[in-house]
Order: sequence, then structure tokens, then C-alpha cells
Amino acid sequence: MEKRAIWKGYINFGNVNVPVNLYAAIKERRIQFHLLHKRDHVRLRQQMVCVFEKKPVPREEQSKGFEVEEGKYIIVDPSEFEQSAFKDNRVIEIHEFIKTEQVDPLFLGRVFHLGPDVNLKGYSALALALKEMDVAGICTWSMRKRHYLGALHASGKMLRLHMLRYADEVIPVKSLDLSEMPLAEKEVKIGIDLINQLTVPFEPQTFENDHQKRLQNLIDKKVHGEKIAILRPKRVKPTAPGKLLWALEASLKKIA
Amino acid sequence: MKARDPVKVSSKSSPVMGKGVSSRGIWSGTLSFSLVAIPVHLVKAVEPGRVSFRMLHRKDYSPLKTRMFCPEEETIVPPDEIVRGYEIAHDSYILITDEELESVTPERSRTIEIIEFIDAKEIDPIYYDHPYYLVPSKGGEKAYCLLAEAMRQTHRAGLAKFVLSEREHLVVVKSTEGALAVITLHYGEEILPKESISAKEEVEDEEKNHIKKKIRKMMTDFDPEKYADERRKKILTILKSKVKEQAPVEAPEIEEEGRTGPADLVATLRESMRKVKKKR
Amino acid sequence: MSRKIVAISGKRLSLSNLEKDLYPSYGFTKAQILEYYRRISKFILPHLKDRALTFKRYPDGVEKDFFFEKRCPSHRPVWVKTAEVRTEDGERKNVCLVNDLETLMWVANLASLELHVPLARASSPETPDCMVFDLDPSDGADILDCARVALILHDLLSELKLANYVKTSGKKGLHVYVPLNSRETTFQETKHFSKAVADIVQKNYPDLVTAKMSKVYRKARVFINWSQNDSSKTMICVYSLRALERPIVSFPLAWNELERLTSEDDPKKLQVMSLDAVGRIENEGELFREVLIKKQRLTRL
Repeated sequence: MEKRAIWKGYINFGNVNVPVNLYAAIKERRIQFHLLHKRDHVRLRQQMVCVFEKKPVPREEQSKGFEVEEGKYIIVDPSEFEQSAFKDNRVIEIHEFIKTEQVDPLFLGRVFHLGPDVNLKGYSALALALKEMDVAGICTWSMRKRHYLGALHASGKMLRLHMLRYADEVIPVKSLDLSEMPLAEKEVKIGIDLINQLTVPFEPQTFENDHQKRLQNLIDKKVHGEKIAILRPKRVKPTAPGKLLWALEASLKKIA
Repeated sequence: MKARDPVKVSSKSSPVMGKGVSSRGIWSGTLSFSLVAIPVHLVKAVEPGRVSFRMLHRKDYSPLKTRMFCPEEETIVPPDEIVRGYEIAHDSYILITDEELESVTPERSRTIEIIEFIDAKEIDPIYYDHPYYLVPSKGGEKAYCLLAEAMRQTHRAGLAKFVLSEREHLVVVKSTEGALAVITLHYGEEILPKESISAKEEVEDEEKNHIKKKIRKMMTDFDPEKYADERRKKILTILKSKVKEQAPVEAPEIEEEGRTGPADLVATLRESMRKVKKKR
Repeated sequence: MSRKIVAISGKRLSLSNLEKDLYPSYGFTKAQILEYYRRISKFILPHLKDRALTFKRYPDGVEKDFFFEKRCPSHRPVWVKTAEVRTEDGERKNVCLVNDLETLMWVANLASLELHVPLARASSPETPDCMVFDLDPSDGADILDCARVALILHDLLSELKLANYVKTSGKKGLHVYVPLNSRETTFQETKHFSKAVADIVQKNYPDLVTAKMSKVYRKARVFINWSQNDSSKTMICVYSLRALERPIVSFPLAWNELERLTSEDDPKKLQVMSLDAVGRIENEGELFREVLIKKQRLTRL
């Protein structure tokens, strides 16, 4: 199956230069719903409307504004930004390397497969080096006039590029302001035992999206005019703080 | 202070607004593993850093909003006239209500049930989709801390299935800095196969070692604070210089026709103004 | 950058980047900003109480980018009080209420230098507590022109037996407030009244005043913005900092002082710096207190 490359670039650090092609790595599959008008089932469109006139406004009549003071805007012309856009020089510049385990998943964004260009040798050597050292390269690049931060790592014999979020895009844990609760050693020990008992190897391929199947079922039923049973969502009673130890012990007994 | 209507103040738990939506976050329910159930809220873990603009009406700068529009009747449709449909044939739809949708997987729309734990290191990062944080609701703080601590010490993460807004996700519940993060995963079938390379290609040790040497020289610790979104910086620089040159615009106030105020008000004002003008 | 955890009334708050200079050309750090708001808290909190706060955040200082936030951030501490308000599109959103010192410190720590609040309280968003005249100088006009207009308004409103109070916006203009504090007041009432007043002042002082928004009409020098009397609008809270080069605040002035300063013809003298604010209040009293307390009716006329 021949895939079209989204983009083409050159991985660069020191005097290492590896040309690569970028491919999408994820294709979401899900049942798509549409929003309809209740009375005539006409499919609705999203439109920009004027709040005062309560009418849609065509593109030619729209302006882009940046709010500088409340309710006050300066008008910007998208072409002004084009002039300062980054030249797509196609270089994926690696600035440093880190141990792959250090990459916090909260920073991970979109991911791409990187395929080799003509220089297959350089590509394979890089992939093997990254794999054997278990490191990822932190890099930046410009693509389609935008600036990106990413992590380059090996996956088998292939290279993969993961986009990273910028530091200010991840909400710090400290801002959640969680209270630190004192924990009894016994409780922690039982918690650890429980986790150990319930640990299995990670086998993602065993998980099916069976909600999709059930949803498809529901839709089929409706198409055939069958009645749908309305089920209430299951609600679980929260464990009272005083009963935590009891719940932990009972859980352990249940599994053993 | 005088007595007034009591303010609807909420600090933690709040009345549920819609199906599973709480004003304290995106979702609220319970996180459970075996017989332990922890009341929690789901909140955002990430916030896009893009510079945000507002679309305005060119002629008078009134702000624009996105609304659903019926192309046939040519009107804006309010939320209570909108229904959800699934297309079974061209322009032919089956309606699905919120209750019917919840009935598909009722056991997973209000609980995140951890069925098993895995070694966090085993998760191939390609599976990660979108992160959230869990925040304990009242009474759940202790159990929450316990789970986070036990997962931290064992380096394990929990696996669960969870339904959020029409979709079921496979999720990882991970301990991070004393908090619990929930990250949705892509299903295996959504991951596109990689381009395969000819396995016959031999890698020369010399080339590989040369690269490794270079890598070793560039090793450091992960610090995202080092990197800024350069494009965003450029846009903001342009905007700042514009602010200096250009006076901002404002949408005009809507004047209701013909109202200058009740006649006695205007007369009273006129009279008072006469007195004032003598002074200034 | 330093991070400290403090306890205020038994609540834990994490303060960050205290040494960060948010007013770089003047030299005023986050710690100093927090200290200012701490010292002024006794006076500013009653004006913020139970009002939906609009944050104006300058995380990298006054010379760098800022952003507005109307929704209460989801990463707030659990003890921050919020209220649910309905927007005009029927959507519901959660807003922050700054009702205590710890919330004020949390807000300041987020580098929300400017605190903007509506004229109504969150529990009754269609009931304004006062009527305002936002005096805004056009190009070529300055705060002294606004002062002349404010004094005219003062005389006119006093003739109508309506007590009125003035404060600097902290930028180029002045705000005149007429306390009402009644359950029956509506924005429609205050908007019509203030527009009628603005129109009559404009008719009598056409070279000084305009009551029309559009730039085309603004050949005159001061615009009396009556349209601020609306449930969707906010005003800078009295005693709030402004994000200018120097940490100037929105500060009330006594009418006789305004009269005197106008004749001295130095616009700079009308501005009050944060460092002087507390001292002035201790000497002169909290001049805007009556705005929260005094009950008046517009329809008495």
C-alpha cells in the first residue's frame, strides 16, 4: 500500500544529515454524528453570525481582531503574518538528546512515521543508534509556516517523530492544589500488593472498541424500527475515607 | 451590608449541568479499582498556546459567534431545536437521543474502572492520545493519594475503559508528581502500519558508532521550558507594534430607536444644566 | 525561579516566580505586586466581593503579551469561590469571585495585574449597583479635559440630588460613579439615564464633549461613554493596578482635590502610584466606600 508523504525533511545534528518523509501515523475511526434541525431533520451548518443582526456573515465581511482592551480590538490582516512566517527550510534540527523514559506523556502531541528517503544507510544507522542507547532527540522544525517542537525516537527499525507541547501548554500539577494526605504504611502496602496482583503485560491489540460495535447495533436496531431499552448509567458508591483500609483488604481477599 | 439574594457559590461540588458534565470540570464520577471507589472530577491537563483572535463584522466591528444554521429555512437554530442524527443514506438520518447514547455502555459513562495494571514503561508512546488530570472530589482525597503513591512506588499505570462524550476510550491512569493523570489511547486499529524497510539492509558499525558518539556529546535532561513557540512570539511582536501605531476599534452601542428618555427626565436635566452652566 | 507555599487562613497557596520583574522599565516584581494587593486588600475586597472577575494576565510582564480570562481557570484551588453565570448565548460558565485575601493573592500570583469587574453582582447580573460615566479622552485630549467634564457632571448630578464619586482609570481617563444599591435598578434604566445626561452635557459643551461612540463624531475632546452601563461590560476595579510602564492604580479623588488639580494644569498629578495608595487611604479615608453603601433612586426625579 503506497502512502503519500505529508512532508519531506532532513534530520540534522552535528554533521549527521538524514533525509526523511513524514507520514500520518494515526487514523481515527469512529461513528460520526451530525447535528440536525429538530423540525425538518435538515443537516445544520456552522456559520459565523453577527450577534446584533442575528444573521450569518459571509467571509468577505469578516475581519480578524486581537483584543487589546476589553471590547476593543486591533484589526489584523492574515497577510501581515505571512511576511514573518518561517521559511520552510525542511530541517528537523536536533538540539539535544534525552533518555526516552524522561519524555512525559503529558507533552506528547501528534505523531508521524518517518520513512527513509534515498539514503537508507544513514537512516538505519540513526534508528539503530537511538534504539540501542534508548534515547530520543529533542528537535524543532518549521512546517507549513508554523513552528514545532518534537521528539525523534526509534521504533523497531523505523524512526518516529512525536510533536511536543510547549511548556506553557501543559497545566502544572501544582496548580491543581491537591492536599497531601497522610497515608498509613499498612494501607500503602496493601495497595501495592493489590496492584502487583492485578498487573499484566501490556497487550493493546487485545482491546477492542466494542462501544463502536454496540453503537452500530443500536443504530441498526433503530433503522429496523426496534425498541431501544434505556439503561441508566451505573453509579458506584464512593468508598468512605474511614472504610478505605477495609475496602483494600477485601479487594485483596477477593483476588487471592 | 444589606440582606440580598444568596449568591450561588460553589467551591467544589456543583449541581450537575448536563449528562455527566459538571461545572467543576469536563466530567465527574468515580475512579475504581477492585472494591475501592474514589469520587473524582476530570479537568484539563493541556491548554493550546495559540494566539487567539476574534472574528468581527467588517462594517462595524461587532463580534461574531459561531452558531448552527439551517440552510433550508435560512435561520439560526437555538440549542433546544438541535438533535443528533446518524446518516444511513444520503440525506437520510436516524435520530439518537442522549439517553439512548448513554444506554450503549451504561457501566462506563460515570465510572473509570481500572481492570488491570501494567508497567508504565511498556506503553509505546504512539498509543497516547489526549491527557487529562483527575482531581479528587470531597471525601476521595485519601484514597486518591493512596492510589497515586502505590502506583508511584510500583512504577505501574492502570488500564481502564471509559466513555467520554459519545466515544469510548481505552485509558491509562498514571501517577505524576502526586496527581493522577488520565490519558486516552488510540485503539490498535487506528494506528497506521509503518512503511517497512528491507530487512536485508546491514548497518555498518562504524557509521552507527559515529552517530552514538555524537549523541553522547549532546545528552541532557528533559526540560521543555527551554523551548518557546517561535511563531507565536513573532505574531505577538507584530501585534505589539500594531498596538503602538493603531488605535483599537470598538463595536458601537445599539441605540434603541426614538428613546431619549421620559420627557420629565429630559426637562429636569435641562433645568439643572442651566444652573450648572452659570458656574462653569 | 522561586516557588513558595504559604498558608492564608488555613488554606495553602503556591506562589511562583516572585522575583520576576513584571514592570521591567520601572522595576516592580511579582512579590511587590502581591505585597501591594495584600496591603490594599482590606479596601479593595469589598469592591470585588461577589462580582465575576475578568482576569487580565501578563505572565511575562507589562511589555509582553497578555490575555483575558473570564472563565474561572480549571486549575484553581478548591477553595476559590465561583458562581455560575449564563451568557447571552445561553451557555453557562463558571466565574471566579474574589471574596477573600487568599483568592486575591492567587489571582495576583497568576499575574492578573488588572482586575475588571461588572457593575452588577454575580447573583443578580441584571441589577447594577451603580451608574457610571466612563470619560475617555480622544486623540489630542487628556485627563485634564476629562476632569473638566467630570466637574460638570458632578455639578449636574448634584443638582439632581444624586451623590456622585470620581476615580482615575489609572490610564488616560476618569470614571464617575453614581451609587444606587437597590434591587429594582435595571441596566435599561441606568443606560437611558446616563445617555440622556451625556446628550445634554454634549449639547451644552459641544467643543469639549461627545456622547457618540463612532470615531467620525469624535472631533470633540472627551467621550462620555454611557454604554458601559450594561451587564456584559466591566470596569477596572477601584485600587486595581494598571499594566502600564509604572504601577499606577485606579484611585478615587475627592471633588475639591480634582478641582484644585485641574487648575494646576499638570495631568501627571492626578495619577496615584501603588506605593502611595495605602498611605493616602489611611490619611483621607476610603473615598469610594459610599459607592457600595449609598442608596439612591434615579426615578425619584
